Amino acid sequence: MADKQLDAGDLDLRVLRELTALRSFAPSRGFPDRVMARVRLPQPAALVLLRRAGAWAIQPRRAVTFATAYAASVAIALRLTLPWLSSHWSAVKLAVSWIGTQIGSLANTLALTGADWAVRSGVTDAVRTAAASGKMWPALAALSIGYAAGGYGFYVLLKAPGRTDALARS
Amino acid sequence: MATAKDLRTLGDREVVALAKAGREAAYRELLSRYERPVFSLIYRMVRDRALAEDLAQETFIKVLNALDTYRPEFKFSSWIFKIANNAAIDQLRKREVDTLSLDGAPGARTADEVEATALQAVDRGESPLAELESRELGAEIERAIGRLRPEYRTAILLRHVEGRAYEEIAEVMDLPLGTVKTYIHRARLELREYLTHLRT
Repeated sequence: MADKQLDAGDLDLRVLRELTALRSFAPSRGFPDRVMARVRLPQPAALVLLRRAGAWAIQPRRAVTFATAYAASVAIALRLTLPWLSSHWSAVKLAVSWIGTQIGSLANTLALTGADWAVRSGVTDAVRTAAASGKMWPALAALSIGYAAGGYGFYVLLKAPGRTDALARS
Repeated sequence: MATAKDLRTLGDREVVALAKAGREAAYRELLSRYERPVFSLIYRMVRDRALAEDLAQETFIKVLNALDTYRPEFKFSSWIFKIANNAAIDQLRKREVDTLSLDGAPGARTADEVEATALQAVDRGESPLAELESRELGAEIERAIGRLRPEYRTAILLRHVEGRAYEEIAEVMDLPLGTVKTYIHRARLELREYLTHLRT
């Protein structure tokens, strides 16, 4: 090549041609991932505020202040409520007992309604028949596997790259 | 929601808008579009692959983390090339080397290292002799580019390698249009001078 001679005009043209044809270089594999690892994606304002509040509160002196304030407020609340509770104990006991009875009664009613439905709809008979014919356990196994598969499918769907966004990354 | 395929059909401004809204795919699309041009520019400026990768990485991180400051009335390419060029120029100033080693990376010691780190010319489908001549000329041009002043190098790379308009180069280099044209003209004269041993 050192021996090859070129006219001035040819050289100019060839230089320009070679310049435009110079290859582009690519960085090493994984370059985009290394960059993205250090890029901060924008996040929802509420999340940013929450994180800032958390970072602000977690400072050592502030954390001690908050803990002290929390303990003091609990102590004050107890100081106020305990004497009242003590003087109205019988009324409180009656109220708690009444609430418990209502909840128990509601649970009882729901259980009876459910049992009644199971009998009337034939579910009970179907289960008895399945148990007798030996089909119950396979049916239960199939149901469990289907449920687990559905859960896994839901997990995969939520994890799909196309659905990644700032909220998911946070 | 715009898929990765859809993003390729969008202009830079639209992709940046999606990136500002938090779409990671938009960030990756910007990376994909400018990875090679930015890296190539920096590599040809600093002539050291590892260093060029670090500088390119810092450029992208700086740009992508500052997207909320990007003004859409300016071209995104001008902005990113400006940051890349400044990073390369700052590095060159730190090393206080205006004209770099013509062959291989500055740190190359053995013949193998020089060969491995020298910028390689393009290989096109020409006849064997033409291809050899082309490859040698390309290598000569790479060497000659390395001998240019940094400002001339930036201007000529952006104009003839990246195909940027004069106005965009003026934006990137923060120089008047006339100065850019002068730099490119002088760079071409210098390249011709360096390559004069190829003339009759």
